[in-house]
Amino acid sequence: MNDVVESQESTRRWAVILSAISGLSVLATFWLIFFYVPTEREMGIVQRIYYVHVPSAWVAFLAFGIVALCSLVYLWIRDDRLDAIALSSAELGLVFTTIVLITGPLWGKIAWGVWWVWDARLSLTLLLWFIYVGYFMLRGATENPERGKRFAAILGIVGAVDIPLIHVSVLWFRSQHPQPVVLRAEGPTADPEIVKTLLFSFLTFTIVFFALLLLRYGLERLQRRVDAATFRAATRSSSINSQGAVR
Amino acid sequence: MRGFVRQLLTIAGKDLRLELRSRERLVSMMTFAVLVAVVFSFSLDPGVEARTVAGAMLWVTILFAGMLGLGRSFALEREQDAMMGILLAPLDRGALFLGKLIANLALLLATEVAVFVVFALFFQLSYWKTLGSVILVVVLASVGFMILGTLFSAMAAGTRLGETLLPVLILPLLMPVVIYAASSTQRLIVGRPFAEVAGSVRVLVVFDLIFLIVSILLFGAVVEE
Repeated sequence: MNDVVESQESTRRWAVILSAISGLSVLATFWLIFFYVPTEREMGIVQRIYYVHVPSAWVAFLAFGIVALCSLVYLWIRDDRLDAIALSSAELGLVFTTIVLITGPLWGKIAWGVWWVWDARLSLTLLLWFIYVGYFMLRGATENPERGKRFAAILGIVGAVDIPLIHVSVLWFRSQHPQPVVLRAEGPTADPEIVKTLLFSFLTFTIVFFALLLLRYGLERLQRRVDAATFRAATRSSSINSQGAVR
Repeated sequence: MRGFVRQLLTIAGKDLRLELRSRERLVSMMTFAVLVAVVFSFSLDPGVEARTVAGAMLWVTILFAGMLGLGRSFALEREQDAMMGILLAPLDRGALFLGKLIANLALLLATEVAVFVVFALFFQLSYWKTLGSVILVVVLASVGFMILGTLFSAMAAGTRLGETLLPVLILPLLMPVVIYAASSTQRLIVGRPFAEVAGSVRVLVVFDLIFLIVSILLFGAVVEE
């Protein structure tokens, strides 16, 4: 029991440290995005959303990778902690995929003239979002928690195997259609400031992700301990009651 | 190995025998599919040439009819808790999965025959020139559909939402099948040569093989209690 408390203490400590670093890093990134980096020539001011959009997408896929990895090992060794990491990571993945799906159209409307095109990357992100949503619906709808963990892990693995296939197919599907006659968002002409800002933003988002992951993981572990304790207390009091009835 | 095949055939035989006697899934799938065709004929603008959108119509119909059948795939096992009995039998989990898959696939293929005939009648489609290629594409895509369908219907049956959850879970995952199947079917219907869809066929084969292996490996974790 003490080990559990101690490991949670260290989880919290690391979460606090990472949160502090990510706070500073976010401030620095904001400074880079709004003051340091020059306005992109062709797309104008709106291009600055790029430094939020692309790193969010990276983090969303990173999160899904962690879900898949933890799911795989969870099915193997059935360590509850792995499931807690997978769940926390999936939640963050859903959040960051949502950020991508919101910032994308905001940018696209101005840069391309339309809110949405069935571009390969957009389609892939949208489908990833749906897989994440399914992940939580599946967990929520399964009454037996152990079964819910297994089912979620299976979806996590199948989803990860499917992502490359979906990617191949949506790329192929795109190439069958005329490209939209709008500006393509293929990386901007590599101005060193833009590259630097982007790389820094990648780093920031990754740190923020891991800080949130640790916080969420600590919360999930705490939640499970509380649930287990409540369950124990409930069974104990009900057994006392039944003894009383016998007497 | 022979034991494995026998187990697999026993499970598939059990499901198909039950289906032959009750015919409930097949009848509802086929009726539903025909109704979707009717819905398409009334909802399409008369100016639209059905031939140009036939691939999409066919695959929307097949997906929904298939999903309807999958919803009942593990229903009997769940209702009577017969799953416990099956799991207590000395049966390889992979064989159980493959048996279920074969039964589901047989039902889907039977429905698809009806779907293609009805669409040919309603929308004046003709498949004769490319019949072999159409069958190849449809069978490969159906195998992929039913592999994921069988895996996830077993999971959906173990949840509170049941078959309502199934489409939400598998439609995003099935997008590669949808993309290649619909586009290949469309091309073959308008008389393009097989060479034009050979690439799609290859991807469908890869999809089927990958998920066949993954599903057999994972199915044990679905049904363990």
